[in-house]
Amino acid sequence: MGHDHGSKAIILIAERDRSVRELQLFFLNNEGFIVEFADDGQSALDRARRDPPALLITEILIPKVDGLTLCRLVRDDAALAGMPVIVFSILAAAARANDAGAAAFLRKPLVGSTFLAAINGAMMTTPNTTIAVAGVR
Amino acid sequence: MTTPLTIPPTSMIADRRNDGRAPLPDSPERLKSGNCEADYILGGGFPANSINIVMGHPGSGKTIFAEQLIFDNASDDRPILYFTTLSEPLAKVVRYLQGFQFFDETKLGAQVIFEDVGDELAKNGPDALIPLLRQAITTLSPKIIVIDSFKAVHDLASSVADRRRMVYEMTALLTAYGTTAFLLGEYTEDDILLYPEFAVADGIVEMSRRRLGNRDERYFRVYKLRGSRYLEGAHAFRITSAGLDIYPRLVSPRIPEGYEPASERISTGVVGLDAMLDGGVWRGTTTLLAGPSGAGKTTIGLQFALEGARQGEPSLYMNFQENPSQLMRTIRNLGADPDEARSQGLDLVYASPVELQIDSIIVDMFRRIQQGRVRRLVIDALGDLASAATDQRRLHDYLYALVQHFAVSGITSVLNLETVGNAIAGSGMQNAVSYLSDNVLLLTVDGEERTRRALRVLKTRGSAHDARVREIEISAAGVAVRE
Repeated sequence: MGHDHGSKAIILIAERDRSVRELQLFFLNNEGFIVEFADDGQSALDRARRDPPALLITEILIPKVDGLTLCRLVRDDAALAGMPVIVFSILAAAARANDAGAAAFLRKPLVGSTFLAAINGAMMTTPNTTIAVAGVR
Repeated sequence: MTTPLTIPPTSMIADRRNDGRAPLPDSPERLKSGNCEADYILGGGFPANSINIVMGHPGSGKTIFAEQLIFDNASDDRPILYFTTLSEPLAKVVRYLQGFQFFDETKLGAQVIFEDVGDELAKNGPDALIPLLRQAITTLSPKIIVIDSFKAVHDLASSVADRRRMVYEMTALLTAYGTTAFLLGEYTEDDILLYPEFAVADGIVEMSRRRLGNRDERYFRVYKLRGSRYLEGAHAFRITSAGLDIYPRLVSPRIPEGYEPASERISTGVVGLDAMLDGGVWRGTTTLLAGPSGAGKTTIGLQFALEGARQGEPSLYMNFQENPSQLMRTIRNLGADPDEARSQGLDLVYASPVELQIDSIIVDMFRRIQQGRVRRLVIDALGDLASAATDQRRLHDYLYALVQHFAVSGITSVLNLETVGNAIAGSGMQNAVSYLSDNVLLLTVDGEERTRRALRVLKTRGSAHDARVREIEISAAGVAVRE
């Protein structure tokens, strides 16, 4: 699940803010991850169902399907059980994220070290992160 | 019950915006400014991860403020980045920085990083700032970024649209990343309405300077601090080798729940005067002691303070005319031992109103009150304090707040006021302080062949008094009311 041919993990991010995307892309690429972005919760869900990435990071405030609903849908989908979700939001919604089944909650703004620590933590504690799947770009 | 005066500035300066409403929800973490008085004014410091403008004319102190902030916050976890742009060259900034006590050379390079981006901006224009910031953020992960001067970057923009775009991009980047930014600039108050950076800033503080005769007065003011309470108004400050010495504006204290005025009378230390006042003055009251030069005000004030010391009540005598040596002599002439009085808790302070702002005098006074646990206070004389105030309205506000503070804290005070002739002026400061005071005593001097001095009680709030004009005599023992 969630790796390309070169065994680089794919991280899917549902985020609209361009500046946040740029920073996420930089830090994650630096760590060897491949990053894909979705503009809204529905397209993120569709993408995840097609080929589950190693990790989903979502803002709550995204259109069509908000981040918490996305989180719940992923949790309730057996095919996506192995994919951890990190909620990374401007909202102070740690409790709601936890209720929705998030593996971790981070409050914006982004700080590189904290961001990466949460990702590594979520991926280490989730089963099936080592399953190799043909990469989807 | 009286409330003891607690450590200033939080006790002496109540937050007028703290009017009992519920605390602001989700109050942000604070970044200390490196200056405890500024932090108090800012409600605890700057909100973390905010964008703040520090504005002021050249020489106003904004760079010093920023430098004090960064060195106070410097630590090993994440560095602080100080960009110099097209205002002062980096070499000059660092040269003068070394003269301040907060400067720590060992922090340079790792914890505090100075970087000159002037050339890059000069070559590529204001849009070059964004990639510079992005690179800094991604490579250094700074927790604080200072851009000095941001106004210089703003001035590079060739159009309003370009400026807005640059500000928007910068704001988006700084908002996305966890850093607290300070944009320094030689802005004026009028610029706040014109420039986009002020609309996006979470905080706006100003350092201003104005000339008063032969001296300059400096003020620190908060214009905006999103999501945070702050102490409004202009707060005086000085620049010293320690950085900025800020004197938060004095405002009236909140009256604590259960507060009741004291029901204890205390002696004035003047023979015969207590009887005129139905047993003395109420504790916590303010007495205005007015009269022309030579009427005996200083002597009565000293007797009041010495009586306090004798009773074991620490007393503070604030004097603006006679230096401590002169006062010591007067005390000896009254038959008292100055050293003994000092050991009993008498604090004699001389301050020159010519050199100081009223704010610094008041703050110093409150520090002494707190440290000395003062119970009696004499200000000799109010006219000198007025000369230190450039704004009579400000003086009136201070006097009002002072009287309130004394009442709440149970400090009994005597305010000496020199009059022209034997009457208190019917307008202006004299009239105002007469109105504010609980008790008003008027000293008069007249007589052609022999100088005759007299005392009259004009007012005693909540008390009876002898309304007659009583002759007083000044002898080696001090002032006494004649039988």
